[in-house]
Amino acid sequence: MRFLDLLVMSVNNLRRRKLRTALTVLGVIVGTASIVVMMSLGIGMSEMQMELMESYGSMTAINVYCDTYSQPEGSQEPVYMTDEVIEQFRRMDYVDGVSPLLNVGVMMRQGQYTANYVNLVGVTEDYMKQITVGEGRYPKMDGSEVELLFGNMVLQNFSNGKRGSSYYETGELPDVDLMGKPIFVIYDMDAYYQSMNGGTGADGTAVKPPKKYLVPVAGIVAGGENEYNQYSWEVYTDLEALKAQLKKIFKKNPIPGQPTNKKGKPYSYFIYSNAVVYVDSIDHVKEVQTAISDMGFQASSNSEWMEQNKKQSQMTQMVLGGIGAVSLFVAAIGIANTMMMSIYERTKEIGVMKVLGCDMGNIRNMFLMESGFIGLMGGVIGLALSYSLSYLMNHLPAVTQMMMGMGGMDGSISRIPPWLAGAALIFAVVVGMVAGFFPAVKAMKLSALSAIRNE
Amino acid sequence: MAEEAEKKKESPIIQVKNLYKIYRVGESKVYALNGVDFSLRRGEFCAVVGPSGSGKSTLLNMMAGLEKPSKGEIVIAGTHIERMTEKELVTFRRENVGFIFQSYNLLKTMNAVENVALPLSFRGVPKKERLEMARKYLKLVGLEKQMDHMANEMSGGQQQRVGIARALVVNPRIIFADEPTGNLDSKTTKDVLKLMRQIVRKRKQTLIMVTHDNYLAGFADKQIHIVDGKILKIEEQHHEDEEEL
Ligand SMILES: Nc1ncnc2c1ncn2[C@@H]1O[C@H](COP(=O)(O)OP(=O)(O)O)[C@@H](O)[C@H]1O
Ligand SMILES: [Mg+2]
Repeated sequence: MRFLDLLVMSVNNLRRRKLRTALTVLGVIVGTASIVVMMSLGIGMSEMQMELMESYGSMTAINVYCDTYSQPEGSQEPVYMTDEVIEQFRRMDYVDGVSPLLNVGVMMRQGQYTANYVNLVGVTEDYMKQITVGEGRYPKMDGSEVELLFGNMVLQNFSNGKRGSSYYETGELPDVDLMGKPIFVIYDMDAYYQSMNGGTGADGTAVKPPKKYLVPVAGIVAGGENEYNQYSWEVYTDLEALKAQLKKIFKKNPIPGQPTNKKGKPYSYFIYSNAVVYVDSIDHVKEVQTAISDMGFQASSNSEWMEQNKKQSQMTQMVLGGIGAVSLFVAAIGIANTMMMSIYERTKEIGVMKVLGCDMGNIRNMFLMESGFIGLMGGVIGLALSYSLSYLMNHLPAVTQMMMGMGGMDGSISRIPPWLAGAALIFAVVVGMVAGFFPAVKAMKLSALSAIRNE
Repeated sequence: MAEEAEKKKESPIIQVKNLYKIYRVGESKVYALNGVDFSLRRGEFCAVVGPSGSGKSTLLNMMAGLEKPSKGEIVIAGTHIERMTEKELVTFRRENVGFIFQSYNLLKTMNAVENVALPLSFRGVPKKERLEMARKYLKLVGLEKQMDHMANEMSGGQQQRVGIARALVVNPRIIFADEPTGNLDSKTTKDVLKLMRQIVRKRKQTLIMVTHDNYLAGFADKQIHIVDGKILKIEEQHHEDEEEL
């Protein structure tokens, strides 16, 4: 028998009993929709968790920390993170990029507004390109000049020096125009405070107020004034340029934040307390992290947290999917029942077909197609239903509000990725065919004789 | 007489040898067929006659491969069908056998043409071709006006004509008919029988008909009388090609 003829016969048989077919399909619709919607919630929740984590930092970044103050006592040489160590990191397997973080506390000023403490961070290009710039552009990274990339929330640090009103008191952003007007940076804060208090230096002379530097602002990190991301609170610049600038300002004097040797003298090179190592993929994070720890540094990453989270969300998805699967299982029983009914009804017809020479396999396939078709119809409609339910859930104000209550997560709570849609369809068809398999075999084995026995 | 001799030489299309069918009903055994031997030539119209319960249907069903004999052989066109599996039997029927039922057994969801075309679809004949053939055979049985009627929109005689067309459309070598006119009135019965005889004779097909009616058996070339599962006698008679229908 031709496939098409078989298909037409199956479909006609389904059309013959429209109500019964519709009810059976309804079961599959409910089953498919409950699996898909449940899974979509699981996926939505775990993806949202992921996004939340990503906002705390990249999944493939390892933060390396070296405490410059609590180095081992005694004769042992302190383990410091120097440019040489950074180069070692860079040469490790799977490492895509490295950036030390040179943190310098500075003061910034524009007009009557002052930010008393801003963390200026010198980074390499590897780090800089992780940041998304909202307004303006990236700072120059060729070491020639210090240009600033402002975190999108740094502005909250500025307060009006005369009136002393800060953002925290007024809730109003200071009238500082980062991109338009010049920003002055004071690097030597010690000298600034000493000069303010009329203090004296080591040689007894009055401390002169330190020099203010006019520093160009290249851009601002993407995000609104209240949209936190990990780059929101810092000001970034080119590491090499910052190093050159600091050397020029402090000459032989110790640079604030840099450790000194046992005699209290500064080192001739820069020592970093923090660095970030970028690994090529999540799978290698653990390996690289261990290697760095073995070198005597503290290393941390989101990978452990994430792994734990992954396991948990897999569990959630399985539980949710399992709940949905129960209703599809019930639907499968419905399909089997419908097919059995149909076979009892058509016993005579099946017998006649066998007497007339219809191949046994064809009879079986005809019934398999019928049940598969029930699965397919239920799957398609169930999927459509899932999409609408998903849309409703993502847009219903009550749900959105509840979500905001749950740790302020935003984004869609119900997500149906293409693989889920495809898998649901295939699954529905397979369930239909499996449920219809035994009835189909039963039909195939029906005795042809029953057809000619006159009742 | 020369013609007669020629017929004898021709190897038989159906040979039944020492055939038994024993049903077990509780403790007792029912000998539905109790040692049956006969053979049929190609193109013969044979009637199996006997009272109700004599084993006629059992014999027919076994020849059509719907039931297994308890003992004995059935050789059709040189092949032993009692040794075939069910799957092989289906194929055998599809390729060699047409079947006419007492209660017509048309599929209720199909109209006359589709019903006639059904056995062709089992053979994988494309739709257009098989509908065309079905129409041709419906015309042959005189139903050009009822082609698109559903089964329940036709009289018993019309339905049986559809049944005959369905049996003939595959151009089978052998046609089995179990009480084909059992549900028809006597006028229609005669018409249907004459039609069957005429077509089958023209195409040199073998027709085996079961009936309990001696008068109807008289239409056949050969009558096999069965009583209690045994052949009582075999009668042969020649009918001239009768008047046109
Ligand atoms: N499936 C069966 N089980 C038991 N006995 C049967 C069965 N089929 C037929 N018989 C018996 O076999 C005998 C012949 O039956 P059947 O061939 O149908 O007779 P006919 O067609 O000549 O009226 C009857 O006595 C009947 O009761
Ligand atoms: Mg009978």
